[in-house]
Amino acid sequence: MNQSNTFWRVALLALPLSVFALIIIWPLLSSFYYGFTNWNGFSDNYDFVGFENFGKLFSDRLFMSAAINTIIWMAIAVVLPTVLGLSLALLIDSHVPGGPIFKTIFYLPICLSAVVVGQVWVWIYQPDWGLLNTIIEYVTNDRFNYAWLAKPDSALYSVIVAWSWQATGLSMVIYLAGLTAIPGDLLEVCELEGATTWQRIRHVILPLLTPATVVVVALSVINSLKGFDILYIMTGGGPFNSSDMLAMHMYNESFKKYLMGYGSAISVVLFLVALTIIRLCFKQLKKVDEIYG
Amino acid sequence: MNKRRRQLLLAAVLAPVMATASMVPSFAADEVTISHYFTGELGQKGLKEILDGFKAKSGITVKDSPIGHEDFKTGILVRAAGNALPDVFSYWAGARTQFVIDAGDLRPIDSMWDKAGLDNVVAKSVADGATKYDGERYLVPFGYHYSGLFFNKAVMEKAGITEAPKTWEEFLAACEKLKANGVTPIALGSKNRWPAQFWFDYLILRTAGPDYRAKLMNGTASYADPEVKKAMGLWKSMVDKGYFVENANADSWTDASDKVARGDAAMTLMGTWITGYWNSIGLKPGEDYDFYPFPEVTAGVPNAVVGPVDGLVISANAKNPEGAEQLLEYLVSDPEAQAKWANIQGALSANVNVAKSNYNAVMLKALDTIDAAQTFAFNYDLSTPPPVAEVGLSMFARFMDDPSKVDAILDETQASAASAFAE
Repeated sequence: MNQSNTFWRVALLALPLSVFALIIIWPLLSSFYYGFTNWNGFSDNYDFVGFENFGKLFSDRLFMSAAINTIIWMAIAVVLPTVLGLSLALLIDSHVPGGPIFKTIFYLPICLSAVVVGQVWVWIYQPDWGLLNTIIEYVTNDRFNYAWLAKPDSALYSVIVAWSWQATGLSMVIYLAGLTAIPGDLLEVCELEGATTWQRIRHVILPLLTPATVVVVALSVINSLKGFDILYIMTGGGPFNSSDMLAMHMYNESFKKYLMGYGSAISVVLFLVALTIIRLCFKQLKKVDEIYG
Repeated sequence: MNKRRRQLLLAAVLAPVMATASMVPSFAADEVTISHYFTGELGQKGLKEILDGFKAKSGITVKDSPIGHEDFKTGILVRAAGNALPDVFSYWAGARTQFVIDAGDLRPIDSMWDKAGLDNVVAKSVADGATKYDGERYLVPFGYHYSGLFFNKAVMEKAGITEAPKTWEEFLAACEKLKANGVTPIALGSKNRWPAQFWFDYLILRTAGPDYRAKLMNGTASYADPEVKKAMGLWKSMVDKGYFVENANADSWTDASDKVARGDAAMTLMGTWITGYWNSIGLKPGEDYDFYPFPEVTAGVPNAVVGPVDGLVISANAKNPEGAEQLLEYLVSDPEAQAKWANIQGALSANVNVAKSNYNAVMLKALDTIDAAQTFAFNYDLSTPPPVAEVGLSMFARFMDDPSKVDAILDETQASAASAFAE
């Protein structure tokens, strides 16, 4: 009985494990391997070049700007959806009229794919008839046709706003869940003791929401490292690489310039950075869990 | 590096591709696999009919797998990486094909070309430039395009421009007239960068000539040369005068084509595929739109035309090379198949036996323009190696964003291009 149990356990695990090895572990190892070659993606002949690709990263202007853009994205992506999501959650939780409807409205973007969200925002940012410029024209009563996505100064930030619009829904939901976990009698006591709303939020609610905040921030950080799909739809990293992020840069080097070896090296770096950050996030989560759990 | 090991390593990434490649009875001699980027609704339907025609004639089944135009660039690379290339695939003639040949992935087709007498079938201007690489033939042209100044006829006539501007002065005068009429002379949609390249192509070809351009494309001339500065200077003065639409980098090529179709702009420098697009939205060739060739800029410089050639190639490890050769021969030499294909794609046939009655008035004019030209040049991103093309395409977008920085842009481009050539 026991023996056959073990057999079945192993047997049932074998399939998912081998699939995992085949489509996750193997490609990962391949990337590491190709990162040390000058393979162009097509040829059978390529050389082992040691750390050359990794050394090249530091003199690559486009890699550096992609790295900076990734950091900018991460910084904004941590602040914007978190603050907005929290505010919305607090508002809805305070039983404003129509709360449930707003909850649905703000949650809806999560159900859309990045491709759809990207396309919608491309229309919003369209210079001649886009929603944003039309509103600005209406308010200022002056012709306004700034090309948000086609200007190097604004392209990256415009995409981040679009991304945050979608991410806000998720952080709102996480915060709402966190709010329901706060005991109602605790808040009643606050009220009886005469605490203002702000004091209540500042000293009771926010500290108790720490676990939710850690989850939201961790998700934002991890998602910004992966940032590719919505960027690909909205700007493709352009104009002239001004909104490139690391994943985009890797794609361009590998598939547009046919530098598969170099692209693999970039993905290795990206992987290591992501691994480090995700570890930090999990550590933080564990700590929070110990305190609040 | 040994092939087996690489195949093993990549098996994982390519599991789905490998599965299809190895599970189909690929040793059946009566099947040829083809992968291509002709994924438009009409293109797929038309190609299927053409491939059915091939089967009826030869008894060979063609298993085709279309991949969207942009995805094709990555898709074919992934298949090459897994040594799972189809027998036949479509590719852009020029530097990109050269790149795949250098990687050892293509099979020469000289003997098939001679046996089938394709010298008498393929237009010479196309055959010379597009099919031969390193002295051997690799590619069969499936169709080709020409790039010219396509315009809205009504808008031009309203501004009093009835004659095609022949010289640069006449061209600028026409732009000025259009502007005075309240119309933006030129639409450009450089969001995906490549539409801007035609301006550079023609300006450098018309001022420095095809020989100099060839040197620039293969890395023996520099983007900091006075020849390039002069061409870019002409372009800049046009942007400065407001001849181009605002925010070119925000529009795609179809956005720009729409602007011309609506009459918001007068013309756009685009390939003949624009006729396919315009016809599909109900414009009439020769009545609603027409084109004129890019004007002469410096007298005495050889007259060149620009455009891409869509080719078909056989991979080096094709499982059914004989069938693949038969397919290539059929696709280029059957006049009926070629005529059908040209019509669907808004392209020109490379087959000289295709009756001219198959073309509309505008396409006929394009054909005459090409016949009259001394050189057929591939557009920029097909003329220079892909890593350099990436650098150059970004340069054009950057230039359109802020032409005042042209000198700095050119210096940086040269630095990046030099290091890309050195790879």
